[in-house]
Amino acid sequence: MKKSRDIAALVLVSIFLGLILSIQFKTISKSVGEGILPTQRAQQLAIELKKAQSEKEAQTNRIEELENKIEQYEKGGVEDNLYAENLYNDAMKYRMLAGYVDLNGEGIVLEINDPPADVQYGEGYSIIDELDLILQVVSVLNAAEAEAISINDQRYTAFTEIVRAGNHIEINGVSKSSPIIIKAIGNPDTLESALAIKWGIVWQLRNYGYIVNLTQDRNITIPKYSKIKTFIYANPVEEIVN
Amino acid sequence: MKNSNPKIILTLFSILIGVLIATQMRMKVESIAPVTLKSIQDIKVEINSTNNEIIELEKLIKQREDELAIIENISMGDQNIVDILKEDIKLNKVISGRSPLEGPGIRITMFDNMNSEIVGFDIEDALIHDVDILNIINDLKIAGAEAISINNQRVVSTSEIKCGGPVIRINGRSIGTPFVIKAIGDPKVLMASVNAPGTYGDTLKSVYLMGFEPEIQDKVTIPAYSGSYSYTYAKPVGEGD
Repeated sequence: MKKSRDIAALVLVSIFLGLILSIQFKTISKSVGEGILPTQRAQQLAIELKKAQSEKEAQTNRIEELENKIEQYEKGGVEDNLYAENLYNDAMKYRMLAGYVDLNGEGIVLEINDPPADVQYGEGYSIIDELDLILQVVSVLNAAEAEAISINDQRYTAFTEIVRAGNHIEINGVSKSSPIIIKAIGNPDTLESALAIKWGIVWQLRNYGYIVNLTQDRNITIPKYSKIKTFIYANPVEEIVN
Repeated sequence: MKNSNPKIILTLFSILIGVLIATQMRMKVESIAPVTLKSIQDIKVEINSTNNEIIELEKLIKQREDELAIIENISMGDQNIVDILKEDIKLNKVISGRSPLEGPGIRITMFDNMNSEIVGFDIEDALIHDVDILNIINDLKIAGAEAISINNQRVVSTSEIKCGGPVIRINGRSIGTPFVIKAIGDPKVLMASVNAPGTYGDTLKSVYLMGFEPEIQDKVTIPAYSGSYSYTYAKPVGEGD
């Protein structure tokens, strides 16, 4: 009698142990990918990421090199020709307006950190859920005559969209996540006071619990727009008056 | 003797399993600790986006190489620096919104909720705000709009859209309702981005009962940015100090 009870207990415990182990393995293989241990996978991915990043860097360098060469040729070509020189200045101006030139100057840096996770309700909310706040910041900066704006080092252009993609946001098609760092070149005092005005956008952000840092900076660099914009649907209207 | 035998075995095996699991756990915990499933997901996303950037950069390299080839061949070919610069100006004028464009697209008319009964507790909920327009514009950009205007003011990178009392200010000018937003792009995609159920535009229309009337148009004309613009604070990197 006693022996059979022992065996029964043993069987029960074994079944229980087996169940737990199998559940554990199932969950891990489902969420990570079958047959691969998460550490190996992570290492693999890290290597892949490093490779992609160094490739990107190489390309950026190559572009810089090409652009320098082009600039040299252009400058050399227009040197002894006043008409061409004016054209060159004009071309530079429109390149700046289109966002194809790195700019630097004085301005402000606004950093928006997500609120700390709420102990009571578990995971906190994020700026990713309230993208229109970023749109409003940009609009306020433009109202304060910002000359160039970047969001997490992506130049804000006339085509820049801000869209949620899962746990990230995409700006100019590049994934970014919190914290959001918005830089703007312009009159630092005007920009700062426009953002920090009472009941203004920074007040609103802080009211929602975001941790906001607003600082003036004498030397801000805003990168150029790195995509080629092609128009498929739009055609220029022939200008009659010029 | 016979009675105590299974107990001993049981104890021994329990200890063995315990030790085995413990060593196993220790070994794994050490190497797994910094790796959570979320971080793997994050890395995956980052790789994807870096790869997309690389594709874009490749296009840019190709374009610059072509440009360089053209410039290098100036002396031999019939192109000269003036033509190249003129071409460059024309292109960047279009991209920066300094030349009028036309093409297929949509036209959206927005006006405040004119019903005497309003939705919500506040009269503010019956009015169109800057946020509403910003969201619609963002949705249109996501849908690939190539040019956007609001009441014939071109939306460029420096356009502000701000409520100022009863009007909305854009490009330094005041505009009032009704707001007419025009966009050039794939008309079907643009339409879907503001009209499909669940979009911001649809919510405005069916929940807040705002006037929101998008319509597909074969030809939309969008004017150039009309203000003049000069940089006082920003300087190109590498020039001056």
